[in-house]
Amino acid sequence: MEAYLLNLGVLISLYAILAVTLNFIMGYAGIYSLAHAVFFGTGAYAGASVALNFSASIFVMVPTAMLCAAALSLLLALPALRVRGEYFVAASLGLQVLAVTVFAEWKAVTGGIGGLIGIPPVDIAGFEIYSPGSFFILSLVTLAAVVAITRLLVRSSFGRSLKAIRDSESAALAFGKNIALIKTTSVVISAALAAIAGSLYAAYMSFINVESFMLDTSVLIMAMVIIGGTGTQLGPIVGAALLLILPGALSYLSFLPQTEIGSIQQILYGLGMAVLMIFRPGGIVGRGRAETGEGEA
Amino acid sequence: MLWLQLAITGLQVGALYALTAVGFSLIFGCTRIFHFAHGATFVLAAYVFYYVESQGYGTAAGVLAASVAAVGFGVLMDRLVYAPIQRHEGSFFTVFVASFGIGIAVQNLVGMVFGRSFVTVTTPLSRSVEVLDGVYVSPLAWIAVACAGVFFLGLWFFLRRTNLGTGLRALADNPELIRVFGLSPRLLSTYAFALGSFLVVPAAVITGATAGLNPALGHHVMLISLAATIVGGIGSIGGALVAGFGLGLAESLALLQFDSQWTEAVTFAILFLFILLRPSGLFGRAATS
Amino acid sequence: MNTFRLCIVVAGLHLATAFPSQAADHQIGALFPLSGPNATYGDIFMSGADLAVDHINADELLSGELSLRYEDSQALPQRAVVGMTKLVNVDQVPYVLSAFTGVSKAISTLAQRNQVVAVNGGGVGPDLAQLGEYFWNVIPLANLEVRGLVPYLVEEEGLKNVVLIYVDDPLGQAIRTELETELPTVGGTLVDALSVPTTAQQFSGIAAKVRAAEPDAVYIASYGAQQLQIVKQLRDNGVDAQLVTYSGYSVSEALALPESEGLIYTTQSVDYDSDDPVTKRFVDDYTAKYGRAPTAYNVNYYNAVRLFGLLAHALEDKGQAVTGANLLAERMATDSFDLVGGTVSFQDDGTLVAPIQINIVTDGAGQPVATVDVAD
Repeated sequence: MEAYLLNLGVLISLYAILAVTLNFIMGYAGIYSLAHAVFFGTGAYAGASVALNFSASIFVMVPTAMLCAAALSLLLALPALRVRGEYFVAASLGLQVLAVTVFAEWKAVTGGIGGLIGIPPVDIAGFEIYSPGSFFILSLVTLAAVVAITRLLVRSSFGRSLKAIRDSESAALAFGKNIALIKTTSVVISAALAAIAGSLYAAYMSFINVESFMLDTSVLIMAMVIIGGTGTQLGPIVGAALLLILPGALSYLSFLPQTEIGSIQQILYGLGMAVLMIFRPGGIVGRGRAETGEGEA
Repeated sequence: MLWLQLAITGLQVGALYALTAVGFSLIFGCTRIFHFAHGATFVLAAYVFYYVESQGYGTAAGVLAASVAAVGFGVLMDRLVYAPIQRHEGSFFTVFVASFGIGIAVQNLVGMVFGRSFVTVTTPLSRSVEVLDGVYVSPLAWIAVACAGVFFLGLWFFLRRTNLGTGLRALADNPELIRVFGLSPRLLSTYAFALGSFLVVPAAVITGATAGLNPALGHHVMLISLAATIVGGIGSIGGALVAGFGLGLAESLALLQFDSQWTEAVTFAILFLFILLRPSGLFGRAATS
Repeated sequence: MNTFRLCIVVAGLHLATAFPSQAADHQIGALFPLSGPNATYGDIFMSGADLAVDHINADELLSGELSLRYEDSQALPQRAVVGMTKLVNVDQVPYVLSAFTGVSKAISTLAQRNQVVAVNGGGVGPDLAQLGEYFWNVIPLANLEVRGLVPYLVEEEGLKNVVLIYVDDPLGQAIRTELETELPTVGGTLVDALSVPTTAQQFSGIAAKVRAAEPDAVYIASYGAQQLQIVKQLRDNGVDAQLVTYSGYSVSEALALPESEGLIYTTQSVDYDSDDPVTKRFVDDYTAKYGRAPTAYNVNYYNAVRLFGLLAHALEDKGQAVTGANLLAERMATDSFDLVGGTVSFQDDGTLVAPIQINIVTDGAGQPVATVDVAD
């Protein structure tokens, strides 16, 4: 039981990292990306490759993963500079589909659909971390660090510039802000931080394949942010916890027929998403509609 | 002759893409609602047709039932989901999440009700006949292309020649203006959903007979519709039609060069490049901010 | 959110306290796709497993009641890992039924670390044989199926030129490699190999490429709904070559497809008409309970559960605890088992050896035409 809760805790922490980093560009820069799973995946594959071939040390694995994701994120920054709103969403969707194809076909690195197996546990100064208990602490500490970093950034002058761009690009331009640089930097930071979650995920699961990094995952992360509350500090974490606990909790409803439980879970998950958006569009933590941010073209 | 065969195949697939894309494009263009559950409309219509037809009520009854289901679902989505969200001035993304959620729910509901496995509408029309040496075309391919033409022309006349059509076009251009003329944007939006959802019916029925159905079909339909809408240019129905055919052809002809797992990537590489280089699409208005 | 946590804790306490009072009862787990595109397999796997549980309880083979705890894997690795963790830590089962290559690979590390036996009766990717000593296969893997099929195809049916349509995953790749090496040894050729993505629904283009290659036979290596779509669309688009596939096709809805008529597929050999009492009882009761004839998957998961029954029974006789480690030791110490389809033995890598049977679809059902002993 304890291990089950710890396992859930690890997953929540890792997904919370993803949600927090996505919230960083969604909530503060107005960049609504449907490609966050790409950086999650890039981090996971990069981390796993390093761990399998060179060293499982966290100080080698994580930075490499971050670098790879940061480099790739320039592909997302490109459309972010050119278009807004639904056009950008579609562009990020395109990137997501392309990335899934590459994940599934670049067999030398990703193992194809079969994925990578036997990824060694992460190593911190000679200690191997793989039990749910110790890994939970590691992921929690990482989450805290990521939250601290984004919080610091949001409150700095960089964060103020971001919000200025989100609210009105032309006004920000008039104030002499370098919009291209600020937007690109925010995308790069977000992707690099998401890659940390990816590499830890790979080490924890010891198995990854493309199915964990598909469009559904991107939507799930986005749903976590929006359901929790876009542009809030706590929202993404609450959203991640809620969406990961819900399916597990549902499987305890023993009066449901076992064969249909999977479908019922999915139906409730889907309906829950819709109902929350209808009655609480600002998210659970959100203070109302002012915080949701508009994504119009 | 492989290229000719692939081109013909591409046209058939493209016709189906075009039909669904035109429906999505109409809804999106008029209301700016990112109706991701459009794929669910497709699945629903296809399964209702399959069910009614396989119960022995005949094709006409099946098409009628499918149309009722599709239009009913579209209108309900607009009324029960999108209207309340828009009343809160929920962002474009809030709508997307709600729509995606409904899409998941419908997919699983369809699986529970109709079974999760593969079903197919049995008809001799899906059998290909050799029209040229080594080139096979099924009667349904002609029907698909004809449907795309007929429905598109019908829609075109409707939008140009009727008051409602003019209203819908005005809604796409300037919702504020609608109010000035004493029309209700909400009501027009509902009409857009009814019409757009109705347009998936022929594609859904034909897909049921050619490719067969499973509840997870909606996703792909949706992605293609979105790609075609953007490549064609948001707000341009003709653009969606051309882009739908284009994507079908590209997907099919790509097989000459690539393995088929790259075809989806080809589609989305085209989409990605379009957004970067010509975000207004083939026939759209300027979109860069 | 707090309420959800509470739910879990309360439910957990309930389970934890439930265990000691009914120590003689046995619970095993199963990770099947119960929702999503592959859910149809879940239904099929369950029917076999459930029947075995019924039989074991009716025979009072074990000191207490045996029950099966299902978790939905959706045939996806991450879901499976979460479900496996729950089975191992909350339900504390010593034995888990697994299916699908991706799922099996994902949970194999957990099985090994927690000393829980995982048994696969559905996935046939050959790399399933290398997942550690706690991972067993009660199904011969696909490389054996191809090895059994190829000589029959070329020598008996005279079908020399083969085109392969495959999903580019470990299973598909293994079948491709196997065809590439096996066909030439009997004078056949793999003329073309066309890979398809797992999500593809449209195969008219693929059909055109198949026709262009002019094969005598088309081998299809896919799963679930997709393999039916491929078969239907090949036939619809003018491919009239012999269709051939592997045991993934042995589900009743696939065999019932009109386009499947005449298709050749391999399974592990099960002589359903056998007088062997285990087989006879299984066939009779399965047909009575579900109103249809059993297929190889039903047999495999019946066998997987029966295997647990036999091993646990032996352990109880010796007064040993039914743990994963003891089950493994007991299996290693036992030479052969009486399962449905006859007496079988395990290879050292935990994989069952069984002869391969070649079937032809006739009037919507598989008819065995030959049985091949495959030397590994």
